[in-house]
Amino acid sequence: MSTDAGPEVAFEARGVSRSFGATRALDTVDFDLRSGEIHALVGENGAGKTTLAKITAGALRPDSGTLRLFGEPYDPRRRSDGSAAGVAHVRQQLSLVRGLTVAQNIELGRPRALGGTGWRPWPRAFNARAARAEVERLAAELDLAVPADELVDDLPLAVRQQAEILISLAWGARLLILDEPSSALGPLETDALVALCLRLRDEGTPIIYISHRLPELARLADRLTVLRQGKVVTAGRDVHDADLRRIAELMIGDITLLDVERPALAPGEVRLDADGLRVAAEHGPGLRDVSLRVRAGEIVGVVGVAGNGQDELAGVLTGQLRPDAGTVCVDETDVTGSPAAAVGAGVALLPEDRTAGLAADFSLAENLIARRVADPQFARLGVRLTKAVQRHARALAERFDVRPPEPALRAGSLSGGNQQKLMAAREMERDPAVLVAAGPTKGLDPHAGRAIRDRCFEAAGRGGAVVIISADLDEVAELAQRVVVLSGGRVTDRFGVEEMTSARLGAVMAGLAWDPAGEGLE
Amino acid sequence: MSTTAPDAAGMDHGAEALRADTPFERATIGLGTSLLAVVAALGLGAVILAGSGENPLTAYGAILVGSFGDWFAIGETLARAAPLAVVGVGAAVALRAGVITIGAQGQLIAGSLGALCAGFVLQDAPAVAAVPLAAVAGALFGMAWVLIPALLRAHLNVNEILSTLLFNEFAFLLLAYLLNNPLKEPKAITPKSEPLPDSVVLGDLVASTRLHAGVLAVVVIVALFALWTRSTMGYRYDLFGENPRLAHSLGIGGRRVVLNSLLISGALAGLAGWLQAAGLLQRLFVDIAEEIGFFGLVVAMLGGARPLGILAAALLVGALQAGGLHMQATEGIPASLSDVIQALILLGFAVRYAPQIAAIGRRAVRSLTDTFGAAAGWGRARGGAGGEA
Repeated sequence: MSTDAGPEVAFEARGVSRSFGATRALDTVDFDLRSGEIHALVGENGAGKTTLAKITAGALRPDSGTLRLFGEPYDPRRRSDGSAAGVAHVRQQLSLVRGLTVAQNIELGRPRALGGTGWRPWPRAFNARAARAEVERLAAELDLAVPADELVDDLPLAVRQQAEILISLAWGARLLILDEPSSALGPLETDALVALCLRLRDEGTPIIYISHRLPELARLADRLTVLRQGKVVTAGRDVHDADLRRIAELMIGDITLLDVERPALAPGEVRLDADGLRVAAEHGPGLRDVSLRVRAGEIVGVVGVAGNGQDELAGVLTGQLRPDAGTVCVDETDVTGSPAAAVGAGVALLPEDRTAGLAADFSLAENLIARRVADPQFARLGVRLTKAVQRHARALAERFDVRPPEPALRAGSLSGGNQQKLMAAREMERDPAVLVAAGPTKGLDPHAGRAIRDRCFEAAGRGGAVVIISADLDEVAELAQRVVVLSGGRVTDRFGVEEMTSARLGAVMAGLAWDPAGEGLE
Repeated sequence: MSTTAPDAAGMDHGAEALRADTPFERATIGLGTSLLAVVAALGLGAVILAGSGENPLTAYGAILVGSFGDWFAIGETLARAAPLAVVGVGAAVALRAGVITIGAQGQLIAGSLGALCAGFVLQDAPAVAAVPLAAVAGALFGMAWVLIPALLRAHLNVNEILSTLLFNEFAFLLLAYLLNNPLKEPKAITPKSEPLPDSVVLGDLVASTRLHAGVLAVVVIVALFALWTRSTMGYRYDLFGENPRLAHSLGIGGRRVVLNSLLISGALAGLAGWLQAAGLLQRLFVDIAEEIGFFGLVVAMLGGARPLGILAAALLVGALQAGGLHMQATEGIPASLSDVIQALILLGFAVRYAPQIAAIGRRAVRSLTDTFGAAAGWGRARGGAGGEA
């Protein structure tokens, strides 16, 4: 490919780096988007795709590196600079304002250069008819059924997404970034999205398309760049020539099993028996006929890209979410849909979202007795024995290495690692029958991560059935003996951790069928 | 403890966490802000007073004299503080559980009607039986008045702020109707009821003041509330208010918490109505509730929803009201200006206790956003749509 006579470049990033604390989210990344192409950006969770997208859109500034947009130097300081320059970032969490119609949304936040209100010291009348006409004209041009006058709240997700793309164009977008646009869509809606993207491309709007769904990318992308741990692994590969299996493998990287010291665990009888679980979710796939059995002393890792039913699975296994069908039994006690029964049966949960698992304004001591308030050790005649609670809290905090182990301290004032240890102390104080840990070491420093990992081993070693739900494959590789792949709300593969290879995982997680013998796809 | 490694995302900042939260540090910061906020409020009030041609010093002096100047003034302060504290405790139980009720006004009216009904029924009963039964009647009437909003909130997630506010209107209109028609004292010109029979009336504690024996009930109620904050059940309600998703995951049923905390707050507002009817006024007037229901919420917030805090806040508001009235009467300062000064001083204290109020306010806001917006988590973790175990 010659450099001079090459295709016109719409956006170019050279040597872009960006760190968050000690984490290097992007490490000297080069990326280019040509005019009139759809360029797919793929990679695992945390590979740096969204960071790159945010830098492109102006929402984040790179620590180093240069950007060019349509041949001009480009140095956006905030998101509005990006949109003024014609870059629109359609995020996973759509940004339309609820409670307003599409027509009202098109007016709200329109860049001032395009006749938007922006900030003015005096109010300006909202021209409802003009806004409606604009939505209708664009909808007709793009062949979309986006109603101008309906409340955003009442529109299906797919239509909301179309509305957001339409509004970006009305606001002068010349470059679109779509971040995981299909993750919450059904097959037909995805087809419509693919058609829309191709139409936009053909009319001259280049698109950066972030996704991990390789079959979908094969249908719409022209080129593809793979990121892994902040680095470009494959740059601008032509999608039509690429071996998607190889791409999937690249996404995952090498899985190292040997470095981890794992205790020998001997699985016993079945303690957790989840059978035929179905959950219909408002967003995402929910669960579609998932069964999972975990034995005493066994650690099962549930892997998959976030948003494929993991949250629902964690909710159902701990009784918090009542499934539409199926049962969850712990030691042959039915705990389906009953958090109280689950707690009673010894189910412990480390939720992925730590704000869900701690009372931030409560003290350490108050947090630590949450499962045992009525225990005679801590309450007499229904009144808390403050001394006993404090003593217990100090001992438990020290045992689980919560720093500082001050019972009166506000839980919210602890660091992330210590909050996680505090939660572990509460949940695993007494050997749990079942431990459901979602991303238990996510965001922790190595020391705290190791402490939590050891707690998971300990829970299994004492006869607990442990389920690790995580999008972090290294975490699962370190902890689990068995692996279950969750994709689109279904279990698409099961194997022992020793059979966990990048190729196999990459393929199943990206939605390709795994056929070890075959060479071809699907 | 010092961290040797460079700052990483999840590094242990134990030492820092400790430093920011020691009681000593809190006290030091607290003292500074308290003086500053209250002095600023008084200063601003002085500017407004001076601007209206009043002497700020004599005005503030009148507030002090009117609230603590003599036995009568102290009696006024305590008699005003009593229903405020009772309503405040009720509001605090709800606030701690993440429920905001502003229906105390209506529940108080219902409670005073309950006390009146008990009085009619128990005219000839001995006071030993009649007084407590009238109190119970007040509490039950108050509870009944919140029952429908509570059920609507617990089962249909109907916002309790709106429904309790509307029920205030119903209560006020009902009382106005009753006092103009069936309950009206025949010879009276203004609408008011017959005096409550002696059997249910609370005697005076101190002669020639309006301080009645019902104030003693306040002490009991605040003590019970102190026990509530340390009880197993109170813990569960607090936990639900603090983190509904965690509470749900531990099997604490949101519906029950929401329903019961509203009923408790209703009962206490009803008791405040009993205090007004059987203690202070000894009959029913159209404005028997004054603004006690709303100021009770102020007291609960200002007191950080804690027992002693509520007691102190109720005394503060009671003193400001008694003193404000005295200021109007002796200095001829208009009522509206007096209200502004009272509000400014309260605002000063609100700034002073901002951290304590913020903690309870966060719970209230969480409950608000949940009622109006999409619920976090499963959408079932809240009392509204919630799965009871």
